[in-house]
Amino acid sequence: MKEIIKLSDVTYEYRSQSEERPPVRALDHISEEITEGQFIVVLGRNGSGKSTMARLLNALLVPTEGTVIVDGFDTSREEVLWDIRKTLGMVFQNPDNQLVATTVEEDIAFGPENLGVPSEEIRKRVDSAAATVGMADFLKHSPHMLSGGQKQRVAIAGILAMEPKCIVLDEATSMLDPKGRREVLNLLLTLNREKGMTIILITHHMDEAIHAHRVLVMQAGRLILHGTPREIFSRVETLKEAGLDVPHVTALLYRLKQKGIGVGELPVSTEEGIRSLESLISREGSGNKVNLLRPAGREHSESIVKIKNLTHTYMPGTAYERKALDDISMEIKRGEILGIIGHTGSGKSTLVQHLNGILKPTSGEIEVDGLSTGGKSLKELRQKVGLIFQYPEHQLFEETVYKDITFGLSKMMLPKEECDKRLKDAIQLLGLSEELLEKSPFELSGGQKRRVAIAGVLVMNPKVLILDEPTAGLDPKGSREVFNILKTLNHEHDTTIIIISHNMDDIAAYCDRVAVLSKGRLEMLDTPAKVFSHVDALKALDLDIPVMTQVFLALNQKGYGFEDIVLTVSAAEKAIMGSLGTMKGGDGHDR
Amino acid sequence: MIGNITLGQYIPGESVLHRLDPRTKLIWTAILMVAVFIMDSWQEYVMMGAFILLLIFTSNIPVKHSLKGIKPLLFILALTAVLNIFFFPGTALFTIGPVKVTYEGLIAAVKLFIRLVMLIMAASLMTLTTTPMAMTDGIEKMLKPLEKIGVPAHEIAMMMAIALRFIPTLMEETERIMKAQASRGADFDTGSIFKRVKSFIPVLVPLFISAFKRADELAEAMESRCYRGSKGRTRMKQISFTTLDLKASLVGLIFVALVFGTRIIF
Repeated sequence: MKEIIKLSDVTYEYRSQSEERPPVRALDHISEEITEGQFIVVLGRNGSGKSTMARLLNALLVPTEGTVIVDGFDTSREEVLWDIRKTLGMVFQNPDNQLVATTVEEDIAFGPENLGVPSEEIRKRVDSAAATVGMADFLKHSPHMLSGGQKQRVAIAGILAMEPKCIVLDEATSMLDPKGRREVLNLLLTLNREKGMTIILITHHMDEAIHAHRVLVMQAGRLILHGTPREIFSRVETLKEAGLDVPHVTALLYRLKQKGIGVGELPVSTEEGIRSLESLISREGSGNKVNLLRPAGREHSESIVKIKNLTHTYMPGTAYERKALDDISMEIKRGEILGIIGHTGSGKSTLVQHLNGILKPTSGEIEVDGLSTGGKSLKELRQKVGLIFQYPEHQLFEETVYKDITFGLSKMMLPKEECDKRLKDAIQLLGLSEELLEKSPFELSGGQKRRVAIAGVLVMNPKVLILDEPTAGLDPKGSREVFNILKTLNHEHDTTIIIISHNMDDIAAYCDRVAVLSKGRLEMLDTPAKVFSHVDALKALDLDIPVMTQVFLALNQKGYGFEDIVLTVSAAEKAIMGSLGTMKGGDGHDR
Repeated sequence: MIGNITLGQYIPGESVLHRLDPRTKLIWTAILMVAVFIMDSWQEYVMMGAFILLLIFTSNIPVKHSLKGIKPLLFILALTAVLNIFFFPGTALFTIGPVKVTYEGLIAAVKLFIRLVMLIMAASLMTLTTTPMAMTDGIEKMLKPLEKIGVPAHEIAMMMAIALRFIPTLMEETERIMKAQASRGADFDTGSIFKRVKSFIPVLVPLFISAFKRADELAEAMESRCYRGSKGRTRMKQISFTTLDLKASLVGLIFVALVFGTRIIF
């Protein structure tokens, strides 16, 4: 097979706006060849240079040193610019910011129109591209009425209509919910497997890398690893250093391997993981009871939030009337971490926006820490209930980080010492250094910005802290850090925490209880172990279950007898160790 | 919610009005508007009203829907009309305190009200039957001759299209930012006017930053899809005049002749 992309010793530097500061090196001497027809996944933390590389491939940027050759064209030659962009299409991160036209079909037509393709030919291409991405029924729709996954599929169709050989996706799945991600990923696999299209997928979702022919790992502008997914994920320690992760099954078998259990290659996909585990344990010996549940140290008995028969209807009395919440009654306990899961549009965000009085119930009542949300003391209520929206860093606006963090605090009329103390506590908890306080929030990195935004709510000392998708767009390391902060806050300050998330593994690992919403109704409210044991019910709601739960359910179906629901990698490790323990128990050997 | 304003938004259909070339519709909307302004006698009012109703029926858009555009403006319309009552000299009908309500004033107010309603109906009939894309295409084509004297016709049309595309997105965003800042302690509803205007800074700054970011990203996306202005660009849907446009224009001319012809004769 012939190579379609060739990077030779490529370096790229962003020149800074002021003369004094040195240029920032985003890519550092990268050489790589990509063969036509391959599915390539590029992994790396935020800021590792992945997006810069994508822009170099599309000739949106030209290398400072070295050359980039795309399909035989040197990207530094201006006259072949359009040939390159025709051959190599690009899909960007934010679905909203790449659709140009007011209808789906006009948007798909945009590329070929720019290329000067004749009208009848454009029509044909638009119809065929829309059919390929499964959007043929939406041709006349306006983009803002579509879901994130649908928007990205339209963006892909817009590229397909230009008939390229290669598509580069720059974190195009990072703003999507699991359903949208699945839609896009399946589409990419089909394009690659059936049409032989070269796909370069830039992502920090490790599970998307499993299907790749080759995986490239970037760290601080360098290409540190490349190989098949199996080769890459066997380098568990290197990946961790790069701030990345490995798939859950890989992590489990790696941990077991370190304890001397199991040999050979680490599995990559869930199915492989199940097979590897099967070869480790025997049917007869397995399934003894090891207490996998978290130690029941803390009792949450007192209710802090009481919701009674809450119903919310958007735009009542109009053609757009929609019941977003339907007769919800629940209590949230003081000091617990509650996870809320459900489809996009199931009412999760609507529900939490009632807790601080941003939305008013159409009917029903809510009481938070003795305060009715229908009362007049909205100010007091919003101090008790901190609500952090998705991508909170987009709401920063002050000149300095200090002013931004204290925006809400300064309206509380507290003595100065108290304010300073709270500020200090918050930035310490979030791991922000004091030097940042006088900087502009817009100078910070994405992860720092998010922490500043969270700090702005924490300084108000909320008793209940609500976070809508707190780790959206963060890489694995960034996500872990946010969850650790939340855990500390919960343990040390007894703050009640409510987390909305699509990531079932996070929910299973960190929450005390889980609420499941569907079509505005509360379907379940229980411990993660109980909720995730209702596999069929969750599947009917089109919700995922944690990877480890899937693995152990599959094992049980094959005749193994693990009794407890396994939620996390550590629990899985214990379960396997436990079952091996009885097996070996007879002859007294300890492994 | 502010994200759901549907005023005058395109309603798909296959009627004669839908199938007309956008340029025909633009020109005739303009003519209709001028006609509404110069009409004077009751006969002209009646004929004009009948014609607009006829147009609504041919468009297959429910009358209720085309009237919807007036509802949010009703207050302003009524206010404008009522103000007219008081500032019109003539025979007094009755007086309220120092204010004299005249017969002529009342007539003028009613006429003005009808006029404004007709104006809105005519304009919304255009937007209800024309996609934003077709409308901007029409404007681009009409401005084309002006390119010779340096009017950037294509760029103007592209800017309009993008603006239309992003209005709903930015409205949603405004709502989201307002909610988020309210959660952080911002207060939009109390205090003096000055204070309230100031309280919008936390909304406006992020909104502007995001709008610029969107513009940046959109420009990049357009560039990577080979956009380079109007040079060498073709269109999927070519707008073109058909015999239908000719017939419609003929009907329009006959109507105008009917309404205003009487003036010349008498």
